[in-house]
Amino acid sequence: MAIRWSHWSPRIALVPALVITAVAFVGSIGWTIYISLTRSRRFPDYTINWDEWARQYERLFKDDAWAVSLKNLLVLGIGSTLAIIFGFILAAMIEREKRGEGFFRTIFLYPLAVSLIVAGLVWRWMFNPALGIENFLHQIGFANASFNWLASPDTAMYGIILASIWHGSGFYMALMLAGLKSINTEIWSAARLDGVSFWRLYIEIIIPMMRFTFLTCAILLSLGVVKAYDIIVAMTNGGPGSSTWMPAFFALNAYAGRSNIAYASAAAVIMLLITAAIFIPLVLITAWRVRRQEAIAQ
Amino acid sequence: MPRVEFQNIAKQYGRVTVLDELNLSVEDGEFLVLLGPSGCGKTTLLNLLAGLIEVTAGKISIDGNEVTNLDPKDRGLAMVFQSYALYPTKTVRGNLKFGLSAQKLDRAEIDRRVDWAAKLLQIEPLLDRKPSQLSGGQRQRVAIGRALVKNVGVFLFDEPLSNLDAKLRTEMRLEIKRLHDELRHTIVYVTHDQVEAMTMATKIAVMDGGVIQQVGTPDEIYETPANLFVAQFIGSPSMNMLRAKVARDGERLLANLEDASASIDISGHPFAQPPKDGDQIVVGLRPEHGLVDASDLPASLELPVQYAEKTGSDATLFLKTGSKPFAVRIEPSQAANYQTGAAVRVGFATEKFNIFDAQSGRRI
Amino acid sequence: MTDILPLSPNQKAFKEYPKKPAKIKGSSIAILIFLTMCALFIAVPLYVMIVTSIKHMDQIRLGEIFSLPTQVTFEPWWKAWNEVCSGVQCEGVKVGFFNSLAILFPSLILSIGLSMVTGYALALWNVKWAGTFLFILFTAAFVPFQIIMIPLIILSGIIKVYGTIWGVAIVHAVLAMPLLTLIFRNYYKDIPNEIMSAALMDSGSFWRIFFEIVLPMSGNILIVVLILQITSIWNDFIIGLYFGGIGTKPMTVILANSVITSRGEISYNVDMAAALLTAIPPLVIYFVLGKFFVQGITAGAIKG
Repeated sequence: MAIRWSHWSPRIALVPALVITAVAFVGSIGWTIYISLTRSRRFPDYTINWDEWARQYERLFKDDAWAVSLKNLLVLGIGSTLAIIFGFILAAMIEREKRGEGFFRTIFLYPLAVSLIVAGLVWRWMFNPALGIENFLHQIGFANASFNWLASPDTAMYGIILASIWHGSGFYMALMLAGLKSINTEIWSAARLDGVSFWRLYIEIIIPMMRFTFLTCAILLSLGVVKAYDIIVAMTNGGPGSSTWMPAFFALNAYAGRSNIAYASAAAVIMLLITAAIFIPLVLITAWRVRRQEAIAQ
Repeated sequence: MPRVEFQNIAKQYGRVTVLDELNLSVEDGEFLVLLGPSGCGKTTLLNLLAGLIEVTAGKISIDGNEVTNLDPKDRGLAMVFQSYALYPTKTVRGNLKFGLSAQKLDRAEIDRRVDWAAKLLQIEPLLDRKPSQLSGGQRQRVAIGRALVKNVGVFLFDEPLSNLDAKLRTEMRLEIKRLHDELRHTIVYVTHDQVEAMTMATKIAVMDGGVIQQVGTPDEIYETPANLFVAQFIGSPSMNMLRAKVARDGERLLANLEDASASIDISGHPFAQPPKDGDQIVVGLRPEHGLVDASDLPASLELPVQYAEKTGSDATLFLKTGSKPFAVRIEPSQAANYQTGAAVRVGFATEKFNIFDAQSGRRI
Repeated sequence: MTDILPLSPNQKAFKEYPKKPAKIKGSSIAILIFLTMCALFIAVPLYVMIVTSIKHMDQIRLGEIFSLPTQVTFEPWWKAWNEVCSGVQCEGVKVGFFNSLAILFPSLILSIGLSMVTGYALALWNVKWAGTFLFILFTAAFVPFQIIMIPLIILSGIIKVYGTIWGVAIVHAVLAMPLLTLIFRNYYKDIPNEIMSAALMDSGSFWRIFFEIVLPMSGNILIVVLILQITSIWNDFIIGLYFGGIGTKPMTVILANSVITSRGEISYNVDMAAALLTAIPPLVIYFVLGKFFVQGITAGAIKG
């Protein structure tokens, strides 16, 4: 039932949010897209040469550092899915055992309260070749063990992935646990009565039932990966060389390091497009689910 | 106390018309019950009056003033909701006081009104409790109290008793009736429960499909339903309906019943417009108007027993016809005497018939 | 009523039965061992941070990262708080701590106040284009910060807040507004329609209904949002880095500067103490209000 009203208060109350949305989001996105077509450097220059409007984008895709950034986006994206799998396993174990649920949950979730800067610094310390875990491994007898991942361009990303998994798996565990708990308890009872084995129950019944939770996790993870910045600054600051650059790092470096706002904007626009590519399926799936639930309700 | 008037009201949602060209007036101090099955538009009508939704067309006036475009708070109304809608974070006293927030009153007057309403409803000991600490019946009283303190002339009730159990419902029914007798507010009360309507209303408006089917006192509605819908909706067990064809036999009018293969004399019925020979009609007979084994009455039917049903103080005998069973009220002590299959003769007083045109459904 | 009736004859006195011995199955033990090992992996960094921060550098140089301190020292903590250098400033992370606090309060009030009222108006009042606006907010909640950062820097320069505590606080509020509005709107949407109808008939005033009816009903969601916001504002790095000026940078930025750009011999114990100091406020909130924290992060994730 809609409520009728004839006063101005609600409209006036919405003005600040509308202004912020119009200026800080819609307007700013438009501005950035526009600037990405110009030759602005330190300060905005609003003339566009339409013959070479894609100049910044052409430069971008010729830039090796950008190629590395995109590759790393993929690497971190794929690597971090381990956090979802790990989170699901943890949730499934906790849900099955129930003993110590509160304790384990508290432990698994605390990294979320820690900022990525702090998380990155701790991991950086543990990856320290002379005094960190590698040294510890050598001392306990694994003379050939190598845990100096951050020092090599080939392995630095794995270090970042490991830290990301450490930081994020508790979050996915929480989402998965919520998903598991929302499954009708009668299904567990039915499976017990039918004598279905643990593995078959999960693979054939539970995981398919939780496909939306998995999908939500995957989308949230992708969005987080696109935004990844703090952890890189804290762990490698992009290095060695530019081997751990990511799009967010690239864009901010173009702005603050190279003082080139047009170039930075172009990188940001590509980030927006990547986000949209992840976000649109989310919207479609949400809409589809809502419609399906309505259909079931009828 | 004010008079409420609806003139040519229409309400549409998109392309769906819920109400159309509806006219209704509620007189001073009247207790009008809007009665109908769910989805008949009665709640929509109430919300239109309250100003919670807007009319598509038409005029609503209260006490001679048009209120169609006023805000809910400015219409001089008070409303009691189905779920009571008490503010969960406020105490009972806070709830009653908030009811007065649109009226600029001084503190002393607010306290006086709260005390008055609390006393009238016997909720004084509850004033400092939160709604969650109250029972259903107590919440109901508070909701009524919140309406009462406003000291307005028109009260709206939206199925206020449907969330109570049967025993409390009876109690609250009497309570609301008592308040109306004492305070003589104009009341518009929405319900789907015919018992509430019959016991409390001074006037009932029966609605179906967004159309008011009949407006009248409870007796009028019960004794002389205006059409087949009203006849069937009111009364429990509902009125027996027998399809028939009119046959003129000299001075007499006979109804040849289709399902009972019998004919009864309907000459004694006070027709508004007597039917012609060959007209299709429906003869309605209330269960309590049939007398079992009274063969001396002018109209009677012989039907086999299907089963007898006893509900404590009442008993009903169901007789087999070609379609729905035919119900007759009997003495509870007699219920055991009727064997399934045994033929029973039921007699009727002709003036108790309700006769409708089969085509239009209207009373004739 | 009930006191007239005697107790129903079916009620029986409680009878004690011997307890059955607890059974622990092998699979349970395996699961518990697995979970404990995972918990160790998750707990290790915190442990390492703590032990490193209270060791002397002499012991750290031995390379025993996991060992307990042979001699406990709180000097690194004192140094981290008072002496650590960020750029040319050597006043410790305490500068950042107080900056973060100064940023936290105004941005909490701004972001929560604004989002609450907007969510309330969108959920409970009939606004024609509410659906469209909500969709735009939903989209805005996902936008990467980089796409709006440069114009926001220019805008905050125009309104003369760039580089100030207020500048950082306002940017936090702006950035949080879409998500928080959606969270509040979804919460308020569940307030029963009849309560709103009753309030509309009783008072009809937008602000009065907000302050007297809706705000008192917002307790739970308020705690959840508060925790979500405190954690994300405190842990933010990027806004503080790009919007904070000299002397207004938050704790995370001071920490990163002091650890990453430090010259000369690195005092790992001081670094870890500084990191711990930065991590303590959100950790305290997490361990004290864990239940709401989980609700907060899930609300922040899914409802967005």
